[in-house]
Amino acid sequence: MTLHRRTLLRGMFQGSAAAMGVPFLDCFLDSKGQALAATGQHLPTRFSTFFFGLGLTTSLWVPKKAGLDYETTSQLKPLEPFKSKMNVFSGMRVMVDDNPNFQHWSGNAAIATGIAPTKASQFDSKTIDQTIADVISRGTRFKSVAAAASGDPKHCYSSLGGANTLPADPSPMALYTRLFGPGFQDPSKADWKPDPQVMLQQSVLSAVSDERKDFMKNLGAGDKTRMDQYFTSVREAELQLAAELKRPEIVAKVAIPAAPGEMPVNYALPNVRTVTPLMAKLGALALATDQTRVFNLAISEPGSNIFVPGDPLGYHITTHMEAIDQNLGYQPRVAKYNVYSMELLASVLKELDGIPEGDGTLLDHSLLFAYSDQSYAKIHAVDGIPIMLAGNANGRLKTGYHIAGGGAPVSRVGLTVQKAMGLSVDGWGKGSMETKNAYTELLA
Amino acid sequence: MAVILVCAVFGVGSVWAADNSHVASLRRLSEQEYRNSIADIFGKDIAVQGMFEPQVRMGGLVATSTAVLSVTPAGFESFSKMADSIATQVTDEKHRGKLVSCNPKAANAPDDACASEFLGHYGLLLFRRPLTSAELRARVNLAGAMTKSSGDFYAGLRYGLAELIQSPNFLFRKEMAVPAGGKAYTLDPFSRATRLSYLMWDTAPDAELLKAAEAGDLNTAAGLEKQVDRLLASPRLETGMRAFFTDMLELDTFDNVSKDALIYPKWGGAMAPSAKEETLRTTINLALRENGDMRDLMTTRKTFINRSLAAIYDVDFSFGGDWMPYEFPADSGRSGIVTQVSTLSMFSHPGQSSPTKRGVALMDIFLCEPTPTPPANVDFSVINDTSGPLKTVRERLMAHATTPTCASCHTHSDPIGLSLEGFNTIGGRRLTENGQLIDLSATIKGTTFRDGPGLGKYLHDNPKYPACLARKLYAYAKGVDSEEVDATAFKAAYKNFTDSGYRMRALLKGLAESPEFFSTPAAIQDASAEQPTKLASH
Amino acid sequence: MTLRTSLLGSTVAVAAIAALAQPAASAPWTRGFVVGTYGFAFHYGGRPESAETDPGADCPRGSSVHFADEENMRKALVQQPWRSKEEIDNIIRPPGIEKARLPTYVRFYVWGRAASYRGWRKGIETYVNPFAAPDPGQPQVTGRIADGLNLDGKVKPTDFVGTDGEKGIDNALYRAWGCDAPFRNPASGTLDLRENTQMQEGLYTVVIRITGNQDPRNDSDATVEIGYSPDKIVRDAVGNVASDYSYRIVKSEQYTRLKAKIKDGVVETEQVDRLHVPRIGWFPDQMGDADFHSGRLRLKIDADGRAAAGFVGGYRNWLDLLAENTFAQTGAEQGIRDHEDAVSLYYALKRNADGMPDPKTGRNTGISMAYRIKAVPAHVVDPAKPAQVRRPEEDEKRRKGYEMVKAAMLKAVSTRTVQEVPLGTGEGQFPAMERTIADLPSKDFFLKTLDAPGKLDENGKVIMPKPKNEPPRQVTNSPATAVASADDDQ
Repeated sequence: MTLHRRTLLRGMFQGSAAAMGVPFLDCFLDSKGQALAATGQHLPTRFSTFFFGLGLTTSLWVPKKAGLDYETTSQLKPLEPFKSKMNVFSGMRVMVDDNPNFQHWSGNAAIATGIAPTKASQFDSKTIDQTIADVISRGTRFKSVAAAASGDPKHCYSSLGGANTLPADPSPMALYTRLFGPGFQDPSKADWKPDPQVMLQQSVLSAVSDERKDFMKNLGAGDKTRMDQYFTSVREAELQLAAELKRPEIVAKVAIPAAPGEMPVNYALPNVRTVTPLMAKLGALALATDQTRVFNLAISEPGSNIFVPGDPLGYHITTHMEAIDQNLGYQPRVAKYNVYSMELLASVLKELDGIPEGDGTLLDHSLLFAYSDQSYAKIHAVDGIPIMLAGNANGRLKTGYHIAGGGAPVSRVGLTVQKAMGLSVDGWGKGSMETKNAYTELLA
Repeated sequence: MAVILVCAVFGVGSVWAADNSHVASLRRLSEQEYRNSIADIFGKDIAVQGMFEPQVRMGGLVATSTAVLSVTPAGFESFSKMADSIATQVTDEKHRGKLVSCNPKAANAPDDACASEFLGHYGLLLFRRPLTSAELRARVNLAGAMTKSSGDFYAGLRYGLAELIQSPNFLFRKEMAVPAGGKAYTLDPFSRATRLSYLMWDTAPDAELLKAAEAGDLNTAAGLEKQVDRLLASPRLETGMRAFFTDMLELDTFDNVSKDALIYPKWGGAMAPSAKEETLRTTINLALRENGDMRDLMTTRKTFINRSLAAIYDVDFSFGGDWMPYEFPADSGRSGIVTQVSTLSMFSHPGQSSPTKRGVALMDIFLCEPTPTPPANVDFSVINDTSGPLKTVRERLMAHATTPTCASCHTHSDPIGLSLEGFNTIGGRRLTENGQLIDLSATIKGTTFRDGPGLGKYLHDNPKYPACLARKLYAYAKGVDSEEVDATAFKAAYKNFTDSGYRMRALLKGLAESPEFFSTPAAIQDASAEQPTKLASH
Repeated sequence: MTLRTSLLGSTVAVAAIAALAQPAASAPWTRGFVVGTYGFAFHYGGRPESAETDPGADCPRGSSVHFADEENMRKALVQQPWRSKEEIDNIIRPPGIEKARLPTYVRFYVWGRAASYRGWRKGIETYVNPFAAPDPGQPQVTGRIADGLNLDGKVKPTDFVGTDGEKGIDNALYRAWGCDAPFRNPASGTLDLRENTQMQEGLYTVVIRITGNQDPRNDSDATVEIGYSPDKIVRDAVGNVASDYSYRIVKSEQYTRLKAKIKDGVVETEQVDRLHVPRIGWFPDQMGDADFHSGRLRLKIDADGRAAAGFVGGYRNWLDLLAENTFAQTGAEQGIRDHEDAVSLYYALKRNADGMPDPKTGRNTGISMAYRIKAVPAHVVDPAKPAQVRRPEEDEKRRKGYEMVKAAMLKAVSTRTVQEVPLGTGEGQFPAMERTIADLPSKDFFLKTLDAPGKLDENGKVIMPKPKNEPPRQVTNSPATAVASADDDQ
C-alpha cells in the first residue's frame, strides 16, 4: 500500500488520543510480511546515552571479581538479563586538578567530556555524544535526539560546549511528534539524497588505487605481498564509501506505534517508570528507522529529585539526610532508590534489545553509555562513579566484563567508547584525565 | 676520520623506476615519524588526530618491523581520515595564507598552474623526492575535477593534497637501490636523504637535505659529511635520538605494564610516562648534551625526576618545574639506567620482582644476547610460592636453576636480575624480602659482582655493550634485524665510536659516513613474504 | 656456572645491611607527613551494634534530631508564640503539595524558611540573629571519656578523661556539639565524611614537618611545623592518600612553627599563645585559619614511621566556629538535612565556653577543642620560589558571600541588635523557596505569611539594595529556573 504522510498527520491532529492511520507500516516489510532481509550492507552503529543522578551504593553494586563472569551484585540484579551484553566500570576516578569540585556537576561533566569543568553547569568541550554524532550522523534527519523522563527540557547532558545544552523532549508526546510527526521521512522514498562529500572522497580513493601499478614496480615478492595488502585496504575503503551512496535499507523489524498522548511527566516514580520505557521505545524506533543515530535519555538531573509518592524527602534529600545503618554499613532507603535507577536502565535496554535487526538486535548494533554524577551522593564523592556500557557496537566492543578501574581516569571509558564507535582518535581528555590509553582488552 | 666512498655517479631525476634499480626496502612510517613529518612539512599547529596501527618488536627493535608490516583496512581508514583532516586544515582560511604560496585566478574555478605549484611543492616534501611529471599531472587533474564538483578551488587543493598524504609514497619509505659498480648496490640520493633524516631527526628530509640530494652532494664524501655534520649539530638530533632510545630501551613495554594495586598502590597512571621520560632525559643528557661516554649510562647517578618519581625514589622534590635534575647519593644503590624505575618496573611482574625477566631484558637490550623462550612444560609453582621455606625470590629461582635443562638459560640471564633484587617491582629500594636479608651477589661466566653499582660496572666494562649499541643503531637505521647483522657491517662505525671515547655523535657520524651505511643487498628479495617470526616474549 | 646457594653468613651482605640500618643517634633528621584525616576530635560512645542516632554512653538521648520529621519540626515551630496553628500545620504539610512538580523541594525549602525565622517576635532571621530565639535545646555529651588535649594544665571535675586514661582533657566543644548528628560518629557522620572526602579530593592540603638533631623516636629539641600546602593530595591506586609524595609547605597565615619534645615516638609540642593551622571544612568558604589560643599539638608516630595520629587543639573563638559551621551553605540547609540546629548550637557554645575571657565583660569568648589528625609520610619541602595556596575564582565568589553573612551574625550577637540578612547569599533559603513554590496551589499563603530576607520583582528577580559592593552569590540560583536545581541544595 502507498502510505501518505497526510494519513499519518490526520490521525495526529484529530485529538490527543489520536487514532493512528495504521499501526503498522507495511512498506517496511517485504511481501511476505517478513522483515527486509539483511542486504549484507554494513549496518550503522548507533550511539545512546543514559544519565541517572545520584549514583549507586558502592558496597552493594561493585562486584568483587573483575573480568568476565563477575558475580551479579544486588544492585546490578535488574540488569542481569543483559549482563552478557554489558560492561561495567568500577573505581574510575575524576581528577579536577586546580578546578573546584562542583557538586552534582564535575563528575558527570568529566565523564561526558574527559575534562573537569571550570564553571558549574557548563561543559568545557563538546560532549562525547556530539563528537560521535559528528562522525556517524552524516545524512540522517537529526544529528542527535534527546529526551528527559523527568519532564524538564533542561535535563539534557548533551552539549556543544559551554552552558548551552541541547533541548530534551520533555514528554513522550513531544518526542513522538518530533520523530514521527510532521517531517517524518520514509527512508525508502525515492528522493533520498546521499552526502555529496562521499562522492568527492571516492575520487580521492580512486586516485590512490591508481598508484598501484607504478608503485609495485621493482618490488621484491615479499614487499609486493605487503603492498597488495595496502591496496586491498584502499579497495575496502572504496567499497565502504560506495555503500554510503546507497540509500539505507531498514533491516529492523519495526512498527511505528500510535501517538502516546499526553500524560503526567514528573518526578513521581510511577510516572518515571511509565515514561522512561516509552521514551526509550520511541528513541529505539528512531534509531532503527535511521531518523538519527544518536539518542540521549536522562531520567533525572544530577541531584535526582525522583520520589516515591508518600516519601516527603525524595531521592536527593534522602541521600543527605539518611543515616548510615551501622549494621548494614549503608543507607537503606537510598539503596532502594539506587535500585530503581538500575530498573529504569533495564527497561531502556529491554526496548533496544527488543528490536530485531538483521542477525541480532538494535542493542547489538549499538553502544549505550550509562553514567551518573556521584559515587557516594551523601558526601558528593566522585571517586568510583558507576559507568556502564551496553551493546557490542556491531562487534567492535567485547562485552560481559567488569573493569575494576583502580583509580584510572574516567576519560579512559570515553576514549574506549569513541574507538568502539569507529572514531579515529588517539587520545581524549585534559589535565590529569588526559589519556591515550583505551581499554584495548575490550576493543575487538 | 677519513671515509672513502666508492660509488657510481648517476643522473638525478631519472632514477625513479630505472630498469637497473630495485626497491631495497619499504618501511612503513611509524606514528612518531608520521607526526614529525607532518609537523615539519605543514607546521606544528596542524592537528593530527587518529589511530595508528601497532608495531612489533623484532631483534629487539620496533624499527625492524616497519620493513615487514603493511596497512590493514582499519589502518588505512585511519590514514585516509587523517589525510583528509590534515589537508582540510592546510587549505582552510586560517592556514591557506601561510601554506598556499599562490593565489588562484578565481576562487571557484580550477587553476592548474597554482595547483601544480602547490601539489608539486608538497609532493616533493611528502614523497621525499620530486614527483614525476605524470604523477604531478594526475594530482593536478584530480584537484581540478574536485574544484569543478565543489565549486571551490581550495576544496580541489584539499582533495589533491589528501591524496598525497594517504599515498603509499608518503606512508612508506621507499628506498631505491642503484648499481654501485661490480655487484654492489647503493641507495640513490633521495633515498640517502630519507635514511639520514629519519635516523638523525626522525622526520622527513628538510629542504636543504633534499637540495643536497638533488645536487648529488650526498654521493660525495665532502658533501655527505657536510650534511651529516649539519644534522648532528642541530637540536633536532634530540628528537631522532629519543626515537632511537625509546626503541632500543624498549620503553614501549610500558603500554603493557600493570602493577598489583593492593601490594603496590603507589603505582598509578602517572608513573609509567614519568619513568619513560626519566630514562629518556638521562640518556639524551649524557649522549647529546654532555657529549659523554656512553658507557656511563650504566654507572651515572645523575638523573631527572618529577613529583611522581620522587615518591617512588622516596626523595624530596623541589617543585622548581615539572622536572628537576637529581643525583643519587653514593650509598643509594643506584647506578645508571639499569636501576631506574623504568628498567626495574617494565621487566617485572605485577606483584613481585623478576630477576629472570630483568636479566633476560638487560642481556638482550645491552649485550645483544637474547635468551631463548622457556620450554612449554615448565612448572612455575615452586618459584611463585612465598609460603614455603624459600623466602626470597632468589632462593626460589636457585632451587630450580640446578636442573640442567633450566640452568643453561637461567645461568645466562638470572645473575643480572639477581643483582637488582635490592629493588622491588616498581623500582623502590628494599633491603629485606619476607623478613630475610636480600643477597645481591651475582656471577656471570666467572665474573662476580653485586648490587646495582656492581652490575653497572660490569656492563660499563663489558665490550659487548658498546658493540651492541652500535649494532642496534645500525639495524635501526636500516630497518634490518639486529640479530642478523654481520659485525663487519658496522665495523667502521664502531671504531669511530671507540676511538672517540664512546661518544654518541661519533658513532652516528661514523655510521652515516661509512660505506656500509648506504649499501644494499644486490638481488631483489624473493621467496616467501617476510612475516614477523616468533618473537621472544620478554 | 657457580651460583651461590648459601645465603646467610655473607659478610658482604651483613655489612651492607648495617650500613643501611637506622640512622645513628645524634644526627639531624626530618620527617614529613601529609594529613589524610582531619576533623573534630569527637569520641563516639554508642555501641557498635546500635544505630548511630541511638543513645549511648556519650549522648543519653542519642544524637540530635532537629527537624528530622514532622513531629520534630512541629516541636521547633511551636516555640514561636506568634505562629498560628494554621501556619504551623501548613508549613509541616503544605496544602496541595502533591500537585507541585518538586514536592520534596517544596517541603525542604518551606521548612527551611520557617526554621530560619524562629525569633521571639516575627521577622527576625535567627541564623543571623541566634540570640533572638529561645534556646531550642541541644542534647549534650554527658559521658566522661573524650579525645583531645589538656589545655589548661589542670585536672578539673568538668574535664574529660582521655581514651588512653589521661586526665584533665579540655574539650568543651565535644560536650557542646558531640551529640550533633552530622558529627557524632567520625566513621559515618555525614559532615565528618564529607569534609574528609572533599579534602582528599583536592579542596585543601595540610602538611606537618618535624625536625630534630637527635633521634626521630626520642628528641628533646625537636621542631614541628604545620600549615597549608599548595600541592594537591595524591591518592594511590586503591584510593588512600599516597605516601612519600613531596609537598611544599607555605608559611601563610595558617602556618605555625613549634618547639617539641619526642619520647618513644610521641611528639608533644610547646603550648603557644596562638597556634595557626588550616581549618577543617567541606566548602571553600570554610577555608582559613583555625586560630587556636593556648594551642598545642600531639602526634603519635608508629614505630616504623609510616603513620602518624594525634590532635591539634586549643581554645577557639566560638562565634567563628558557629559561623563556619552554620554558613557553610545556609543555616537551614544543614538544619533540615542533617538534623542539627545552629541556634541550639549557639546556645550550647555559649553555655560551654571555657576560655579566652573578654577583658571587658569577663565572658568566655573561646571554647576548648581539638582537631583529630591522621597522616601518612610525605616529603615536606620549602618552596623554591614563593608559592600560594591557589583558590579558584568560583571559590572566592562563594567565600565573599560567606564573609558577608558571618559579619552580619557577629554584629548581631555582639550588639544584640537585629541585623538584616545580606542578600545574594541564599541565606534564609531566599529566593529558593519563592522559586520552588511557584506551582504550589497554596503558594500565596506562604508568600504572605512567611518572612523573607528580601523581595522579588515581577520577573522573579531578587530586588537588590542599592549596591555598595556587588554582593556575589553564595549559592548559585539562576534567575531563569522556576524550580530548584541541584545547585540550590548541596
